Amino acid sequence: MAKNWRFKKHSILPGFGLSLGFTMLYVSLLVLLPLSMIFINTSSMGWADFWATVTEPRVVASYKLSFGAAFAAACINVIFGVLIAWVLVRYSFPGKRVIDGLVDLPFALPTAVAGIALTTLYTENGWIGQFLSFKVAFTSIGITIALTFIGLPFVVRMVQPVLQNLDQEMEEASAILGANRIQTFFRVIIPEILPATLTGFALAFARALGEYGSVVFIAGNMPMKTEITPLIIMTKLEQYDYAGATAIAAVMLIISFVLLLLINGIQWWTNRKFVHN
Amino acid sequence: MSIQIKEVSKTFGSFNALNDINIDIKTGELVALLGPSGSGKTSLLRIIAGLEEADNGVILFGEEDMTHIRTTERKVGFVFQHYALFKHMTVSDNVAYGLKVRPKKERPSKKEIEAKVNELLELVKLDAFADRYPSQLSGGQRQRVALARALAVEPKVLLLDEPFGALDAKVRKELRRWLRRLHDNFHITSIFVTHDQEEALDVADRIVVMNEGKIEQIGSPEEVYDHPNSPFVYDFLGNVNLFQGRLQNGKLLYGNVEIDAPGFESAENQQAVGYVRPHDVTIDREDTSNEAVQAKVVHVHAVGRSVHIELKREDTDQFLEAELTRERYRELELKVGEDVFVKPNQLRVFIPEDYSI
Repeated sequence: MAKNWRFKKHSILPGFGLSLGFTMLYVSLLVLLPLSMIFINTSSMGWADFWATVTEPRVVASYKLSFGAAFAAACINVIFGVLIAWVLVRYSFPGKRVIDGLVDLPFALPTAVAGIALTTLYTENGWIGQFLSFKVAFTSIGITIALTFIGLPFVVRMVQPVLQNLDQEMEEASAILGANRIQTFFRVIIPEILPATLTGFALAFARALGEYGSVVFIAGNMPMKTEITPLIIMTKLEQYDYAGATAIAAVMLIISFVLLLLINGIQWWTNRKFVHN
Repeated sequence: MSIQIKEVSKTFGSFNALNDINIDIKTGELVALLGPSGSGKTSLLRIIAGLEEADNGVILFGEEDMTHIRTTERKVGFVFQHYALFKHMTVSDNVAYGLKVRPKKERPSKKEIEAKVNELLELVKLDAFADRYPSQLSGGQRQRVALARALAVEPKVLLLDEPFGALDAKVRKELRRWLRRLHDNFHITSIFVTHDQEEALDVADRIVVMNEGKIEQIGSPEEVYDHPNSPFVYDFLGNVNLFQGRLQNGKLLYGNVEIDAPGFESAENQQAVGYVRPHDVTIDREDTSNEAVQAKVVHVHAVGRSVHIELKREDTDQFLEAELTRERYRELELKVGEDVFVKPNQLRVFIPEDYSI
């Protein structure tokens, strides 16, 4: 078998060498090189220095906040993203196209604008904030709301096409076999859209981790409490502490990488049932 | 369980899918709903299953009124044309599904479910494939899984929507024989939808021929094939030759010949069409009866037990089809391009409804 190993299958379209070569160059220049700079920069500081920087209590608190809020936001987006996708695919109502279009807006809006808008809404005397008995702006709840806002399109846009192509006869088959609606939903529909939902989750999570613009306004940026990791990096950069900034960035990068790898693993595991040979 | 369909109508928007349908199906019968696409046969099946609601009419299973019972509670087996298997479940999980989703009190134990699944997979000869996923099976195998899945809940009624429509010819033939045997062993009242007349004639006890939301004819395969009661049924079931002509004095005049048309003695100078099956046509070298038309042999198809001959009428340039036995064919020594006389033995005359002069 080993001898028969070949990179390409027979194809009527030429250009394997060229396109693969270009892809390699492109990915290297645009992704690998900048990312490796982080580690190269970090290596300019000693091990002890590095360790001290990345385990500083203020920094550790920011990791917890960043990953926790991003995770919570991605979870919220999974639930409501699937719901929105479901409504957009299954029902027709006046204004459906408008809502469909609105879903993409968080992508297009400059994140700072989103941040300012959300802050105005959720401060103690804001439109929404005045009705709430607890503080939202300048707490981790506010951060989660901002991250939910910017991550919304991912799950919707991943799940929507899958739902559209879902064979409705499968649901009918399930009903005829005696399954009630809840059983049909959880046993037939959820497993079908799970891979796409996971992809949407991973994208929303990754996006939320790196988010800076919309969060800084609503977070209040109190050290130990509402300071996200990207902000700490920004602060370090402003103080010309490039090595410290990249050190924290490197830690974040590694954790993100491990988490995304994990999500991909789960995805591979669920996908294995659908794709054979 | 017997099924009664009474005065069922259904419209989709302005489209009349079903129009006052009445069918009585006896317990243990295997009935085919036969018709071209758009004839309403699938809508009717879906209404029986409860997947669609009729605008009017009643569906009875035995004595029980099912009209407003939900699909979930009708306890029918349904087989879809495109299988509708659960892609993320193995073959055995697919078959077990109907048993696993039962409420706790009625649900059989894990062991019983497993035994039932094995029994059914053996029945459909897929016991070796229990752990595979649907995407790893061929079309015929998938449809057998779908059948096993439908049978697992022990339905009193089995409904099949073009079950073999997506399969290739050989598998299709095999599967329909197999369905017939299955039905003979289990005696589940079954209704299957098809647009393939051969399939309906081959498998069904009774055939319901449908067209444009109405029933054209109900009867045994022999009845609907040999005694069609409308031009549509004639046309739809098997090949047919048309003799267009005029009715006069109880005779159908076509071209320059005439033939008796019993039942139309009073018709005067009316446009009419005579229908005859290819095997009810005689070919002669000489005209002895004055009832034959002259035609040229265009093509001879001599594969199989009978010989199919394509002819072209000399007077109207219409094509005719004849089916001869091999013996008769040898006797005649027909060759392409020869002139012969074609005579219909049994002509069924219909006056076209939409004919106005």
